[in-house]
Amino acid sequence: MNDQTVRLERITKNYGTVDMPDNLNLDVAAKEKATSEPMVRFENVAKRYGTLTVLDKLNLDIARNEKVSIIGPSGSGKTTVLRMLMTLERINEGVIWVDGEPLTHMQKNGQMVTASDRHLRRVRGKIGMVFQHFNLFPHMTALQNCMEAPVSVLGLSKQEAEARAAELLDMVGLGDKKSHFPIQLSGGQKQRVAIARALAMRPKVMLFDEVTSALDPELVGEVLNVIRKLGAEHNLTMLMVTHQMGFAKEFSDRVCFFYGGKIAEQGPPDQLFSDPQNERTRQFLSAVLEAG
Amino acid sequence: MNEFALGFSVAALMKGVAITLVVTVGSSLVAIFLGLIVGLIRISPRWPLRWLAVIYIEFFRGTSLLVQLYLWFFVLPIFGIILSPWTVAILGVGMNVSGYGAELVRAAIQAVDRGQYEASIALNFPRIAMLRRIVLPQAIRSMLPAWGNLLIDLLKGTSLIFFITITELTTASKLAADATGNYLLFFAVALFGYYFIARALITPFVRWLERRFSRGFVREVLV
Ligand SMILES: Nc1ncnc2c1ncn2[C@@H]1O[C@H](COP(=O)(O)OP(=O)(O)OP(=O)(O)O)[C@@H](O)[C@H]1O
Ligand SMILES: [Mg+2]
Repeated sequence: MNDQTVRLERITKNYGTVDMPDNLNLDVAAKEKATSEPMVRFENVAKRYGTLTVLDKLNLDIARNEKVSIIGPSGSGKTTVLRMLMTLERINEGVIWVDGEPLTHMQKNGQMVTASDRHLRRVRGKIGMVFQHFNLFPHMTALQNCMEAPVSVLGLSKQEAEARAAELLDMVGLGDKKSHFPIQLSGGQKQRVAIARALAMRPKVMLFDEVTSALDPELVGEVLNVIRKLGAEHNLTMLMVTHQMGFAKEFSDRVCFFYGGKIAEQGPPDQLFSDPQNERTRQFLSAVLEAG
Repeated sequence: MNEFALGFSVAALMKGVAITLVVTVGSSLVAIFLGLIVGLIRISPRWPLRWLAVIYIEFFRGTSLLVQLYLWFFVLPIFGIILSPWTVAILGVGMNVSGYGAELVRAAIQAVDRGQYEASIALNFPRIAMLRRIVLPQAIRSMLPAWGNLLIDLLKGTSLIFFITITELTTASKLAADATGNYLLFFAVALFGYYFIARALITPFVRWLERRFSRGFVREVLV
């Protein structure tokens, strides 16, 4: 069996059956499959902490370039979804796929085995993440924060990395703060540096976990504007956990409502926000809207 | 007081100061170097390595410095390994202190904010680069004050090398006091000698390191 057939078998095996005429050119089939493949796929993923099941048989496909918002009450597993995809948490069951490849597993002697560090590092490179509490490197300036990984992970030269970092800092509106340390920046500025830092690795998928929750209300807008700009100007698949219902409604292609470790309801924002089908969704939305 | 005895004693005392200085600097370097290495091995993802580091730390931290010095100086020769008093002094004191140092390194690394590790993983840093570029600069900054204390302790511990035949500051003071009968003067000199080395050498060195590693941690301009 050549590589292509192995790949095809794997795809059909793991992504459900595809009717395949015997005489079809395998190359073409594989290519078509690749572009229609979702960018991210959670396949029967379960996550447990001890006896507590946080996520139960999660199935979720995210298309290339799709912007998906995750909403839901506290403790419903939203952060866990992003952390599993970023490989910050191991999963207990199922497979996560990224860009047509298994992330959590790899193919070895025709079997799916748990991913090695090397495999994780290769596939993880396609994903970037922005955290609620920024997690900037405190001992580095804004520019150095954005240069460090491109230099020591991607092997870019200092000049290349600096040019890339400067361009991104300009893009997030911080061209004049390049030599500031994180402690010298406001929350909104820190979060914009964090976004630039993640983008410097040229990810295909960006994860945002409540990136405006730690900010003063007047600083939320500047960060959301950057995310809007990203969505409009870059080919990025975005997955964001947010409590900003207005932003989720305006920005996302799809909204997923999590409840008790499951997707209780999902759909286009217009439909989900104005005409929720699930009782839990209705309760959650009215509680959130009441709180303002 | 005998003029000759006094002059002789002062000369011997200066030599004692010099010896204490050399052994302090030498064993400090050994302690810092080994403490860093063993502390890093102590948090290795491979358990056999971690285990070796634990044994090292337990041995050097858990047993007496004097017994360790005797071991290197009097017991190793039984196995045909003969080390000079200087080697035993510098390596022996340095290794003893590195046991404590390794624990400082481990604790400081583990105290670095989880978010820093998570950001490093999200940016796909290999483990070594993450330690070298992200974690250690922050850990070193927070462990420096404790290292300052440890090195001052090391300085005081060097008086034990008298037992392996080296006439360092304390011994030289005792000999000078015995020779001249002026115990008050010479022990006052010894007390002040240790204080001076700590204050003029170790504290400024650690402060200098603290300043170097504090970039980005303090808002105001550093003085
Ligand atoms: N390390 C852990 N050990 C044990 N339980 C955990 C751990 N991390 C998360 N949990 C539990 O998993 C569940 C889901 O947590 P998660 O952080 O994904 O919730 P969330 O939807 O992001 O909530 P929030 O809106 O408050 O951020 C919670 O019940 C939480 O207590
Ligand atoms: Mg959360």
